[in-house]
Amino acid sequence: MQTVKMVISGAVNAGKTEFIRSISEIEVVSTERRASDDTKLIKKETTVAMDFGRIAVADDLVLHLFGTPGQKRFDFMWEILSEGMLGLVVLVDSTRPETFRETNRIIEFFTSYRDTAYVIAANKQDRPNAWSPDELRLALRQPPHVKVLPCVASERESVKNILLELLYVIMQRSED
Amino acid sequence: MALVGNIRDFGLSDFLYLVDRGYKTGCLHLSRGDEQAILFFEKGKLIYAARREGEQLGEMLIRQGKLTPEQLEQARQVQNGNTNGMTLTQIILSENMMSQEDLQQTLQTHTEESVYGLFGWPDGEFRFEQGQKPDLNEPVMPIPLPVENLIMEGVRRIDEWGRIKDRIPSTDMIVRFLDQPGAKAKGVKLSPEEWRVFARINGKDTLADIAQKTNLSEFDVCRIVYGFVTAGLVDVVKKPRPAPLTSSSRGAQPMEMPRIKKSLVSRIINRIRGM
Repeated sequence: MQTVKMVISGAVNAGKTEFIRSISEIEVVSTERRASDDTKLIKKETTVAMDFGRIAVADDLVLHLFGTPGQKRFDFMWEILSEGMLGLVVLVDSTRPETFRETNRIIEFFTSYRDTAYVIAANKQDRPNAWSPDELRLALRQPPHVKVLPCVASERESVKNILLELLYVIMQRSED
Repeated sequence: MALVGNIRDFGLSDFLYLVDRGYKTGCLHLSRGDEQAILFFEKGKLIYAARREGEQLGEMLIRQGKLTPEQLEQARQVQNGNTNGMTLTQIILSENMMSQEDLQQTLQTHTEESVYGLFGWPDGEFRFEQGQKPDLNEPVMPIPLPVENLIMEGVRRIDEWGRIKDRIPSTDMIVRFLDQPGAKAKGVKLSPEEWRVFARINGKDTLADIAQKTNLSEFDVCRIVYGFVTAGLVDVVKKPRPAPLTSSSRGAQPMEMPRIKKSLVSRIINRIRGM
């Protein structure tokens, strides 16, 4: 059995758990506990360890989806999760510009020393005052070749589209 | 839809960059306590800004001695009788009450002063209304103003590390030019101190190196480079990690991701398409 891994990252409350939940074939394994710091101002329960989802591709191939911890104090997990990953989805809450700096920090972490295949998912596009993908590209200073895609993490089709776009990026880099 | 936020989280210079690169047209409303400001943009360039809402072009030009009250009254009569939607700016020029150069200079100074003070706001709510245009009576500049110089001037007023650290977390980072800095740099006016730093950028030296070579403080170099970054002239990147010395590796390279077979990716794509 071969397993491959994708990492879903983003700032606190970007929608990582919901993203994985929308596509995973198993009940998402999530270590949710009552938040003990300022994240409880954003949501009552927040991810303090990680989320895990799974998609069986075939009898001999499984895709694992790992959601990174949102809070800074769990940065050390990012290094572990990024080892051997196929690609990365960076989720951004398009309605909260106060999280853009943290999003940049995450992108910088995952891409500075690795040639990481990644896409940016502009989540919560169904909300009023959501910044458009084009505006997010400028706000996050992303070059034109990086895909910044509209996303609603609660909708399976939207999540499928994000994963497919990431896979197309990975396909371009893969070997025959 | 409006873009909303707080300049504590998304700075004014960042917003100007977004407006410039996104060729935005609309009005940026800023408020902090009792203070308010509005900035109108057209296709990424600033056409009008004011800290005191409500002051109209005519009153401002009278206050500055550029127009007499009689001339203003005459211009308004022309405007009222005109059905083509001409702005007061256009009428003042068409009636030869002021030269375009004089009007531009007066309005540009007023606009720049209005914006520079905003860079001192540590926080403040912003709302960008896309497509909103100024009233016909508002003092729109005949020639729209590129924002790069506003960004540079705003950055010159930064006196704390906090905002700089967002883009330049360490002085051990390398400064490099973007693909075509020459074209963009033409419109930016640099101070002699900024030129000293600009001339030292070579894609190899760190900010600390540049500080040493220019005899400027690390803070000054970082502040100046932060301005270049925000104006879209340069980029800062982490210094490459030294690679282990082996016979096959000379120099630092990014860590390679595992090579993946196309056939494997294709299987995953087909599976997800079918979900």
